[in-house]
Amino acid sequence: MTRLFRPFLCGLRNRFFPEGKISSRTLIITGFGVVLFTALYLVSLKTIGYFHSQNELGVILALKIFQMAWVIVFTMLIFSSTVTGVSALFLSHDNEIIFAAPTSLEEIFGIRYLTTSFYTSWMMVVFSLPVFGAYGHVFQAGPGYFLIMIPIVVCIAAIANALGLMVTIILVNLFPAKRTKDIVVYLSLLFGILLYLVIRLLRPEELADPERFPDFIEYLSSLSTPATPYFPPSWASTLLTGYLQDHSIDWLLIGLLVTTPFVFYYAGEWIMTRGFFAGYTKAQESFGGYHKFREHDYSPSSLRWLFLKELKMFIRDSSQWSQLFLIGALVVVYLYNFKVLPLEQTLIPAEAVANIIAYANIGLTGFIIASLCTRFVFPSIGNEGSGFGLMLTSPLSIKRYICYKYLFYVVPFTLLTVILLGASNHLLQIRGPMWWVSLITGLIITWSVVAMAIGFGAIYADFKAENQAAVLGSFGAILYLFTALSYELITIIAGSIPAYRLVRSWRWDMHFSATVFIQTAGVFAAILLVSALISLLSLKKGMENVEKNYH
Amino acid sequence: MNALEIQNLTKNFGQFTAVDHVSLTVGRGEIYGFLGPNGAGKTTTIKMIAGLLKPDSGEILINGFSLAENPRICKQETGYIPDRPWLYEKLTGIEFLQFIASLYNLDKARFSDSTEYFLNLFDLSEWKNHLIESYSHGMRQKLIMTSVLMQEQPLLVIDEPMVGLDPKSARLVKEIFKQRAKDGTAIFLSTHSLEIAEELCHRIAIITEGKLRISGDMETLRHEAGKKSSDLEDIFLQLTGAWEMQEVISALRDR
Repeated sequence: MTRLFRPFLCGLRNRFFPEGKISSRTLIITGFGVVLFTALYLVSLKTIGYFHSQNELGVILALKIFQMAWVIVFTMLIFSSTVTGVSALFLSHDNEIIFAAPTSLEEIFGIRYLTTSFYTSWMMVVFSLPVFGAYGHVFQAGPGYFLIMIPIVVCIAAIANALGLMVTIILVNLFPAKRTKDIVVYLSLLFGILLYLVIRLLRPEELADPERFPDFIEYLSSLSTPATPYFPPSWASTLLTGYLQDHSIDWLLIGLLVTTPFVFYYAGEWIMTRGFFAGYTKAQESFGGYHKFREHDYSPSSLRWLFLKELKMFIRDSSQWSQLFLIGALVVVYLYNFKVLPLEQTLIPAEAVANIIAYANIGLTGFIIASLCTRFVFPSIGNEGSGFGLMLTSPLSIKRYICYKYLFYVVPFTLLTVILLGASNHLLQIRGPMWWVSLITGLIITWSVVAMAIGFGAIYADFKAENQAAVLGSFGAILYLFTALSYELITIIAGSIPAYRLVRSWRWDMHFSATVFIQTAGVFAAILLVSALISLLSLKKGMENVEKNYH
Repeated sequence: MNALEIQNLTKNFGQFTAVDHVSLTVGRGEIYGFLGPNGAGKTTTIKMIAGLLKPDSGEILINGFSLAENPRICKQETGYIPDRPWLYEKLTGIEFLQFIASLYNLDKARFSDSTEYFLNLFDLSEWKNHLIESYSHGMRQKLIMTSVLMQEQPLLVIDEPMVGLDPKSARLVKEIFKQRAKDGTAIFLSTHSLEIAEELCHRIAIITEGKLRISGDMETLRHEAGKKSSDLEDIFLQLTGAWEMQEVISALRDR
């Protein structure tokens, strides 16, 4: 298997350590990672510390969140490895070389398992560590906790990935040949529903509901035994909860967590040897090869045809649009949570809490937009593949091409922002200036984040990517996500004081004083200006650099 | 005025000089063959002419316009057929042609006449409403040729035109090129097939290690190689320094 693993390792080495040296890219990404890791650790420490410092109920709440986090991490990992598995196992460009060579299916499964696990899990693993690590610190669990927790995170990721690949191979074999790629539609739908159910069943809103506390005490007693004995994240959370509370170790759970990845891996390998060739054969048949499409009238407008091209390519590539199901499910969960927030049961006035949540919601919406941009907008230029040469040789300038791309993506993202912010503000029963603060700031962030995605996507375009997973795990994608999130965070922090003053002024005086108005207008004008500059700079850099990547 | 004029074109990749002060001209109605061994700098030169690569120095003039200063005008007048077809797998053949036509602002009437003609000629009409992902390699090559030929540009830049084509289509393409040249189109053609070069080209240039070794008609090439009755293969091997290959070939035959 080492020989098959070599191209992946060489690719990583050449990307992060070109010519044997640490590249500036590697340093930047490590720096960003350390900052984000630390920030996440500090925020987690503060939040968990706050819960822990309350009475016994606070501890229960903290542990309930702990259990939820494990479930979410596990579910997300299964979802992403299943989706990635389709392209990694069946649609990778190097399949023709590897599968035609005298390699065994066990070897191919091994390499695909390791690389898919790396692409789908590394970010989730790295960024779950500070959260779980903060628990160890707050509960004063000592170094032993970390020695158990870190391998468990890896075990959970290994189980999720093996499970994901197994599901992929089975489903690809079950579906009719021409629709192999469409499998992702069903998978996305399935996991969208699963995620929705998992989150809804955990009922996060009940965490803040004092009337439910007796249930929580009952819940505390059930924490010592696995709530769902066949669910790996329950093993992890139960084992670690025990260690956090009284340093007790359940060796049976450790045994299950350590052996299950191997069981699932070999089960996956077994399924691979029996089902891969048939699935791979089906995957090579064209989805729409024998289907005749309707012909449109021609009109010489490059804007119209570039839009039509983008739209048709998106609609006809089920691996792209099927993920909209998942997004749809997430949006429903997201908005539903606003509906069930128990605002009346908090100590501070419900209206003030609603306003704080509405402002924080700009960040949440921004996070969703940035994540979706990483998935859809960032790879959009690289996805042109060799077709990008057509743009370069045509009289259409790169400037126009980039602008058209921006226009194509900014419209749906604007709509999504308006829906997310508008609906959540409506559910929170927001009145007054927060409505506009939230909407305007949200839109500024969205427009900038989309521009940054196009810009970074052009700068780091990979026209020869092996598969989509490689693009999403690439340096450029990570750097983009970090930069976009940092920009959002700074924007929200910068706007928080004027937004607070504006809302307070509106609430108590029902009119704006000139000072408040000038301060607020000044800060938001500055945000607008800086955002516009960042957007233009990203697009300009993208235009300047995109040609270099093509060769 | 020449359709294509290249002056002192140079391109470096780090320390390596891929194209070294290449100068040449292609007149209207002329088919100009561009030959050379692998890695000689043919594709790099072609990519610079097509506007895909920026030269480090030198100038490219297309119908008198500088490519560096007027890229839009030059690209409008240049049709480029790459050796590997660049296509969008999820578009149908006709949608791809419509998209390309829109980039070059081709008018509706010409689009419909030209595409119908070439799609019929290349036996693609039946497949025009099917996704490109279901096309064979040859069909893809014929589609990309249609997308260029439908525009009737005064300069065609072609990299390995016959790759993947069946004998019937290859014959057709050669006839189209001859006809286009007769009508005044300049064709800059890079190929490894010496038979095609000998049959089609009015003049031939040979490039080795980034430098233009020789340029002229068959007589000039024969004279330069010192082989009066030789065919293009002998001349090519002589001028590219690959003559010692004959010994290797003999050794292989004797095994």
